[in-house]
Amino acid sequence: MIRIAFAGKGGAGKSSISGSFARLLARREQPVLAVDSDPLPGMAYSLGIPIDDRPTPDDVVVEGPEGGVRWVLRPGLDAAGFIDTYATPGPDNVQYLQFGNTWGHVSTLQRGQHAWSQVVKEMDPTAWNVVGDLPGGSRQAMFGWAKYADVVAIVVEPTAKSIHVARQLRNISNATWAPAHVVVVANRVDDPTDVARISDALERPVIAAVPNDPLVTDADKLAVSPLDHRPGPFVDAVEQLVAVVESNYDLDTQERTDGTS
Amino acid sequence: MKIAVVGKGGSGKTSVSGVLARSLARGGHSVVGLDCDTNPNLGLSLGVGDLETERLLSLRDQIDEGEQEHAHTWDDILEAYGTDSPDGVRLTVVNRIDNPEPD
Repeated sequence: MIRIAFAGKGGAGKSSISGSFARLLARREQPVLAVDSDPLPGMAYSLGIPIDDRPTPDDVVVEGPEGGVRWVLRPGLDAAGFIDTYATPGPDNVQYLQFGNTWGHVSTLQRGQHAWSQVVKEMDPTAWNVVGDLPGGSRQAMFGWAKYADVVAIVVEPTAKSIHVARQLRNISNATWAPAHVVVVANRVDDPTDVARISDALERPVIAAVPNDPLVTDADKLAVSPLDHRPGPFVDAVEQLVAVVESNYDLDTQERTDGTS
Repeated sequence: MKIAVVGKGGSGKTSVSGVLARSLARGGHSVVGLDCDTNPNLGLSLGVGDLETERLLSLRDQIDEGEQEHAHTWDDILEAYGTDSPDGVRLTVVNRIDNPEPD
């Protein structure tokens, strides 16, 4: 099973790529859980799921035992039950969970994080591929929201600002809970020079180069998933990315180092 | 006047703020550019370059390490922890998150 999280600067294309990745992986007969921990539900757009701001009820978590985790799933609600109850089914049978906005207010985001940590730790590791979309920048990425991932893919445009943020995000490799792999996905590239600019600056493998495809902008303007608009270079590139990840980063549970399974 | 520029990631906040700050400065205003992003990039858009932002952040780290005095007033902060960018905009940077939290 694949566990991948997409990180990068705001606007780098994380949501477009992660949502399309999730659906293209699901089309390969794989069970896919798409997880959005961004308070702004960009991933829902790229999955093609109507935006739904109805919050998950507060009472999915209760205060944990003293000295332990602050919030735990309420008695009787296990990981599988949580996914059954609160995931939204989307196109291609992707199941979508949004955590960043689960409880609406920033001060209670911690409940969402703890609920998700517990769900991912206790869920059947053979049941789901997990495809995650992190919010822009390094805040969540550096604070452990990507612990579930075996692979963190940093989405980078060939611009100074995007590369600047990506250089900070590489430091996730230094975490005690670091993912097994930190890789780079070049996005909105026009030519091989753009790809070289990114790989030279980041000194990490660029596992996919996603071209600058105006069809993605068109899809954004129409508020539809790139997959439900006209197929083109973007969709082709994400399809290749899925193949690369399936053949190189589909870790079995023994290979996981972060103790989440 | 005090202007805060907000919006979705990638929508152009930094580019707009940088050009806004320099345009105001060209019009004769004294302008402070305050980068509140935890991935600060305003220096790039003002035209001071990457290294100068790094220098400002390293000064900030030196406070934590006790090698650098705290500044006590706005003016002192801008003096000690700011830099001049083109058209006279004084840039200062709040913070950056670039290391993972220990478990």
